[in-house]
Amino acid sequence: MQGPIESGREFEERWQDWSRRVGRLGSGAGWLIVVLIVAIWFLSGIYTVAPSEVALVKRFGKFTQAEGPGFHYRLPWPIESVVVVDSQSVRTEEIGFQSKAGVPSTQFPTKEEEALTLTGDFNIISVETVVQYDVTNSEIFAFQVEDYRRVIREAAQAVIREKVATRGVDEALTDKREEIASEIQRELQGLLNNYGTGMRIINVRLQEVTPPTQEVAAAFDDVNSAVQDKERLIFEAQGYSNEQLPRADGQAQQILNVAEGYKQSRILRSEGDVARFLSILDRYRLGKTVTEARLYIETMEEILPNLNKIILSKESGGVLNLLDLERLLGSSTGGEK
Amino acid sequence: MKSLVVFIVVVFLALIGYFLFAFTVDETQKAVVLQFGEIVRIVESPGLHFKTPLLENVVYLEDRLLSYDIRSAPVITVDKQRLTVDSYTLWRIQDPRRFMETMRGLRNNAEQRLDDIIYSLLRDSLAQKSFEDILKREFLTEVKQRAQTQVKDFGIEIIDVRIKRADLPTANEQAVYQRMIKERRQIAQRYRAEGEQQALGIRSEADRQVQITLAEAHKRSEELKGEGDASALQIYAEAYNRDPNFFLFWRTLESYKTSLAQNSTLVLSTESDYLKLLELMNSKGLIEALDNR
Repeated sequence: MQGPIESGREFEERWQDWSRRVGRLGSGAGWLIVVLIVAIWFLSGIYTVAPSEVALVKRFGKFTQAEGPGFHYRLPWPIESVVVVDSQSVRTEEIGFQSKAGVPSTQFPTKEEEALTLTGDFNIISVETVVQYDVTNSEIFAFQVEDYRRVIREAAQAVIREKVATRGVDEALTDKREEIASEIQRELQGLLNNYGTGMRIINVRLQEVTPPTQEVAAAFDDVNSAVQDKERLIFEAQGYSNEQLPRADGQAQQILNVAEGYKQSRILRSEGDVARFLSILDRYRLGKTVTEARLYIETMEEILPNLNKIILSKESGGVLNLLDLERLLGSSTGGEK
Repeated sequence: MKSLVVFIVVVFLALIGYFLFAFTVDETQKAVVLQFGEIVRIVESPGLHFKTPLLENVVYLEDRLLSYDIRSAPVITVDKQRLTVDSYTLWRIQDPRRFMETMRGLRNNAEQRLDDIIYSLLRDSLAQKSFEDILKREFLTEVKQRAQTQVKDFGIEIIDVRIKRADLPTANEQAVYQRMIKERRQIAQRYRAEGEQQALGIRSEADRQVQITLAEAHKRSEELKGEGDASALQIYAEAYNRDPNFFLFWRTLESYKTSLAQNSTLVLSTESDYLKLLELMNSKGLIEALDNR
C-alpha cells in the first residue's frame, strides 16, 4: 500500500502549495471578479427607448411606470424588467393580399381565401384591404392582448365580409367603396374598443375590389364597353339628327323661295299681260272694226306662212273627196309646197 | 479571503431563498397556488408574492385576451345553401379557480371545449337560418350568449364570437361565377339595346322633324303659289272684263300663233272672209268684185 500513500502525500503537498498561491492572489483577484460581476449586473439595467417608443417598467412583474424616449435605468433582473412598445408608428395589416418589395401595388399576389367575399346579392368579389392602426394605450396593448395582430386581422376579416354582404356587387365594385371602407373602419374600431385592445384604427382602404376570376372580369369589362357602345350609338344618332335637321330647314327654305318666286312671277306676268291687253284695248276702242281686221290679218300673216295650206275654191268644193290626201299630207312633211 | 467567501455564500443563499419562498406574477398573468394538487389561494394582483417552500407550487394562467380560431363548419341553410363557416372567438380566463378545477389550468383543454361548444352552436343556429340571415350576422349575439352560459362554469368569459368567412363550396363558387357572367351579359345586352332604342328614337325624331319641316314648306309653298295664281286671275279678270268680246277675239288670235304649229296642214275655203278675195279674181274680175262690195 506504499504507492497510494506516497501519491496521497504528494497530492496533499501539491494541494497546499496551490491553495497557498491562490490564497495569496485570491483575496485581491477574487474581490475584483465579484465587483466586476456586481457592476455588470447593475449596468444591465441601462436601456434606451427610441423616439416612437414607450417603455413600460415592471417591478416583480407589476407595472410601475412608463418611460419616454432616451436613456433610462431600471433595477436589474430579477427585480425590474421593461417592455418596449412602439406606440407612435402606424402599423399596417394587409388582408386579401401580400405586398412584396419591388412589385407595383396592382400586382401584389392575392390571397384568395382571404380576399373572396360574398356580396348581398349573392355574387362573389375579391376584396383587398389595407388596415392602418396604431397604439393609443400602451399599457392595455402590452398587458391585455396576447396576439394583437391576430385579433385585428380576424376582426377585420369578419367586419369586411359583414359590410360587403350588405351591398350589391355593383355598389361594392364602384361607387360605394369609400362608404363601405368607412363603415368597416367604424365597426372595426367599435369591436376593438369592446375587446379592450388599446388600438386605434387610423384608416381602412379597400385597395383592390375586383371580380373573382378573369372570365368574370371579362364579363364585367364587357358591361363597360356596352355602356360605351350605348353612348356611341346615341352620339351617332345625334350626329345624324344634327345633319338632317339643318338640311331639311335648307330644303324648306328653298321650296319657299321657289314658291315665293312663282307667286311674284305670276303676278308680274299677269300684270304684264294685262298691261299689254289694256293698251291694245285702248287702241281698239278708237276704231273697233279696223283694229279687229288689222289684228286678224296680222295674225294670219304671221301664222299662215309656216303652215301647209290647201285652198279650195267654191267650184272645187266637191273635189275635196277626190283629193289624194295621203299624198298631199305625206309630201307636205318635206316642206312648203 | 474569508469575507469574500461569506459574501458569495450570502448571495447564493439569498438567491435560493428568493426562488424557494417568493414568486412573481406578471401583469399578463394570474397565479394559482397549489398544495398537493389542492388550490390554496388565487393570486390576481401582479407583483412579488410568497409561498411555503417545497409544499406549495404555483401555476400561472393567462390573463390576456385570447383569440381562438374555431374549426370551419360545413352548414346547410334553411334555403338549402351549402356554406363553409369559419369563425373565431375571443375569450379570457375570468375565474382562475373554476378554470383550474375544470380545465386543470390548461389552455388546450379550454380551447378544445370552446371549439366543440361554439362549433355545434353555430351549426345548429345556422341550419335554421336563411342565407341572407347569415350574411347579416345578427344571430351571432345569441350564439355568443348561449356559448357564454355553457362555459361560465369553466371560469371562461367569451368576449366575442364572429364569422370570419362564410364561403361557398368550390363547385357552388363556379356556379356563382357562371351566374355572374350571365348577369353581366344581360346587363351589357340591355345597355346596347337601350343605346339602339335611344338612337332609333333620336333618328326617327329627326326624320319626323324633317318630314314636318318639308311638308310645312310644301304647304306654305302651295299657298304662295295659290296666292300668286289667284292674284293673277283677279288681275286678268279685272282687265278682260272690260271688254269680254274683244278679249275673246284677241286671245283666240294670240293662241293661233302658238297652237297652230309649223307643218300643220290647213284646208282653207275661198269662201272664208280672209280668202274670198282670191275667188273674186278668178271669176268676175277684181274690179267688179270691188265695185260689188
